[in-house]
Amino acid sequence: MTKDELIAKLKTIVQPYIQDEAAFDNLSEDTDFINDLKINSANLVDVILDVEDEFDIRIENDDMEKMISVKAAMGIVNEKLAEK
Amino acid sequence: MIGNDIVDLKYIKETSNWKRPRFLDKVFTTKEQHLILSSENQHQMVWLLWSMKEAAYKCHVQQYGRRFFNPKRLVCELISEDKGQVNIDAIQYYTATIVTKDYVYTIAKQTDDQPVETSIIETKAPKLATQSVLLKRYALESIAEVKHLDLDMLEIRKTKIGAPEVYYASQKTPIDLTLTHCGRFSSFAF
Repeated sequence: MTKDELIAKLKTIVQPYIQDEAAFDNLSEDTDFINDLKINSANLVDVILDVEDEFDIRIENDDMEKMISVKAAMGIVNEKLAEK
Repeated sequence: MIGNDIVDLKYIKETSNWKRPRFLDKVFTTKEQHLILSSENQHQMVWLLWSMKEAAYKCHVQQYGRRFFNPKRLVCELISEDKGQVNIDAIQYYTATIVTKDYVYTIAKQTDDQPVETSIIETKAPKLATQSVLLKRYALESIAEVKHLDLDMLEIRKTKIGAPEVYYASQKTPIDLTLTHCGRFSSFAF
């Protein structure tokens, strides 16, 4: 999967939970889930579970801990996909 | 340090489903999950423990400046119906929670006897940005009154990690301020 494909998939996953449309429209690797997209932290759990379902991976809490930005999420997904 | 967190019980029911597979396991320790599943009001217990964790996390992140997302690392102990402790590694925070049929609201502090000014605001403003502006105005009005300061010279700035800081005449003050909102409710504490 290319970087752009991965960003596009993550964008689809976070869409139902975002509360800042402008930040969502400009979503990039540097976008922060909470500070930029204003996703509430309960929904961040949903994002993580949706990521697990979409890519058929499991994210342990030690990895989840870093998942506060698009870039960090991409890193974890790539790592988990490589392990498969 | 002080941290607060409010959960609108109706709003959260509409926007988050803690019964979905693996949700509880990502967020709560085995002991906490037991507390939830044996509770008469499971929905309320989920969000009570959640708000304890969130409030304590806000203290921690202000204190240490490092953000992370791992609610399970913040371990809750309920001492009574409204008082609790949250432990993260070797650090301990004291919590006090108010539960109503509409919301759960927790304040976390480093020391149990630290005095706190707090207020809960119910807002009809649908937009998060508008709610945020209103909340900050109410917080500053309260700070001005309690601390006998000129409201016009007070302002809130956000740090790089998104924590609020209170400035007076463009100088940073030692006032610890914490803000929270969820659904219909928002709240400040300092």
